[in-house]
Amino acid sequence: MIIEYSNQIYPEKLKQIKKPPSRLYVLGNVEILNKNGIAVVGSRTNTQYGEKMCKTFVKNLVEYDLNIISGLAIGIDSIAHKTSLKNSGKTIAVLPCGFNNIYPEINIPLAKEILKNGGTLVSEYDENTKPDSKKFKERNRIVAGLGIGTLIIEAGNRSGTSITARHTIEQGKPVFSIPSNLDNKKGKITNELIRNGAYLVRNVEDIINTYDINFTKRKSKIKDIYLDIPEELIDVYKVINDIPKDINKIANETNLNISDVNYKTMLLVMENKIIELPGQRFVRNDEQYE
Amino acid sequence: MLSKVKSMALNGLEGYLVEIETFISSGMPEFEIVGLGDTTVKEAKKRVEAAIKNSKIDFPTQKILINLAPANLRKVGSHFDLAILVGILIATNKIPQIDTNKLAQTIFIGELSLEGKLNRVNGILAMCLEAKELGIKRVILPKANANEAGIIEELDIIPIENVKELIKYLNNEIKIPKVHTEIRKNKKKYEIDFLEVKGQENVKRALEITATGGHNCLLIGSPGTGKTMMSKRLNTILPELTLEEAIETTKIYSISGELNKDGLIIERPFRMPHHTVTRNTIIGGGKNPKPGEISLAHNGIMFLDELPEFNRNTLEALREPLENKEIMINRIYGNYIFPCNFIFIASMNPCPCGYYGDEEKECKCSPQEIHRYLSKISGPLLDRIDLHIEVKRPKYEKISSKIKSETSEEIRKRVCMAREIQRKRYEFEKIKLNAELNGNLISKYCKLDEKGEEILEKAFKNLKLSVRAYEKILKIARTIADLEQKTDIEYKHIAEAIQYRSLDRRYDN
Repeated sequence: MIIEYSNQIYPEKLKQIKKPPSRLYVLGNVEILNKNGIAVVGSRTNTQYGEKMCKTFVKNLVEYDLNIISGLAIGIDSIAHKTSLKNSGKTIAVLPCGFNNIYPEINIPLAKEILKNGGTLVSEYDENTKPDSKKFKERNRIVAGLGIGTLIIEAGNRSGTSITARHTIEQGKPVFSIPSNLDNKKGKITNELIRNGAYLVRNVEDIINTYDINFTKRKSKIKDIYLDIPEELIDVYKVINDIPKDINKIANETNLNISDVNYKTMLLVMENKIIELPGQRFVRNDEQYE
Repeated sequence: MLSKVKSMALNGLEGYLVEIETFISSGMPEFEIVGLGDTTVKEAKKRVEAAIKNSKIDFPTQKILINLAPANLRKVGSHFDLAILVGILIATNKIPQIDTNKLAQTIFIGELSLEGKLNRVNGILAMCLEAKELGIKRVILPKANANEAGIIEELDIIPIENVKELIKYLNNEIKIPKVHTEIRKNKKKYEIDFLEVKGQENVKRALEITATGGHNCLLIGSPGTGKTMMSKRLNTILPELTLEEAIETTKIYSISGELNKDGLIIERPFRMPHHTVTRNTIIGGGKNPKPGEISLAHNGIMFLDELPEFNRNTLEALREPLENKEIMINRIYGNYIFPCNFIFIASMNPCPCGYYGDEEKECKCSPQEIHRYLSKISGPLLDRIDLHIEVKRPKYEKISSKIKSETSEEIRKRVCMAREIQRKRYEFEKIKLNAELNGNLISKYCKLDEKGEEILEKAFKNLKLSVRAYEKILKIARTIADLEQKTDIEYKHIAEAIQYRSLDRRYDN
């Protein structure tokens, strides 16, 4: 779907930025473009700390019914999208390329999953445009523009993330930055942003209270997504949950041969998707999402 | 007068011909046996004398000298009685019509009672098999041993009840038909079956793999989960003994004196020694070495219940036989080799209290206690066990459910099919089953595809597997692939194989 600048549904927020895109290519849910959302961005090579923070903050933002806007890149962007999906949130991915050339390719399943769950893909380029470094930078002004503020998780030196932060400031919106260990290379920029006046956030309420909007917190609904699970293992993964389940019971519930269950559970253990407990019982490895 | 009669001596399972030379000369009445006989042989003269007299035959009042040739080898056992008696009878010309040509190809085996009857002796099958190899045509033995020896078609087995009958027979006064035991071809019906095991699919699968590849298996589980019950059923899914195997096994039972009247053993042995057993009972021993439990389990199964309760020395002694499939016992008079190609099944609790990992009862053990318990089984022994499987308590609904499990016969069909694949593959190798693969053979027959390599590498990194697990995993994967009738090992076979190395994964030994 193409939305011209003149169109009524063209996002109001984007009209206010410098150099608004003359037309938007949109896939999926158009309505949420005009809802409140927070841009969550960060490094493509995040640390574990970054992953953990991203998961916590995104989960809580979703609970306040905020949409998560990010760039579908690997690293923090992907984590933000995935965590949003898992917590039944809506998420918007702004692409630096046309829909026929989704970049990076590894995230094509993620893009599909976003669309399936009421999310949106946005681009200012026509279907067949290929990504290049210039477009990556241009894309960042839309990421910042669609949100009511930007949360910086982790960022490397001279990174796209810092460009997004700059755009946010230029657009007059708050930049939230998560403080980091001084030793953390990926924390240099976030700490610097705080020093230069970005909001230091310790929890999601630090973000919420910045606005005059009345946010209501809802209970988070965890949703099963099987994005990282290889297709042949999904049937087994589905029946494994937080309560330790014995291998025979898994075989019973999935109606699979014990030999198939044996190899599938083992592959899942190796992928760190599930944990094996004494007595050949398995639980999900939920640490991935906390 | 001088006479020569043949008999047989056993050295472990190997036999050799013994010539009993009897020399009767004039002089003071005397009866002496030379030729390195043990006490039983020395005592033979009392039995022989009484048996002759009680058969209403004159006992020579002359100087009797018996020599057991070759004189430098030690001879053990009461089965020389008969040959000594015949030697004396021939030397004193009590059997005038005897066919001397036939005598040269005849051996005499049997123990005498004082009244002149022949008693059953041990090791008949082993002796007869060796005799056949050495060109003997006729064996004269106690009636009680006839069925056992009758398995060998090539020999004339003549069963004798008492001395009088023997003399008449040798004198060609009566004919005694030779014995031939029909080998019962009809299938042995087991009283137990896997059909009765509800649930426990993972254990059944592990035992199926065990049976297929001839692997060794350790069952870990809380008390009352059915470890013993299922192990006992392993026999029901193994292929039937071949005639060759049956004879091998019967031979061992024969020299241990554990054979019943039926003759050939047609069922795979299942040995389950108690944990108070001594090392010698397990591996074999004694002054005149007898086969131990491991040899009695030859071509069958040895099951050690409560493995950590066994004496450490006993378990350590198992290491060599598990590897070599035979045990050599050294004694001053020679070395005795007994085969012991068995499937080793052991069971243990996961911790001292028995409930580590149980869903219902809580384990009261500290990590140190668990570690100490597990370290009772040494690494080298654990090295030789291919599969570890955890046995869980089945839920009540499972026990009472009407859902039918597979019968042993169905499982056995798969096992036999996969064994046939192995037989064809190893036709030109020295091995028969996957469990015997090692070194070069593993790299020759256990090739992995790219994905398999990748998964194995990942497993070693993520699960911190030990190096010793490497070969085991490949071997088990080979067996799993055979069960699925696949020529190549696929990644799923590798992944399933890793599942059976739970001790490597869970507890660092």
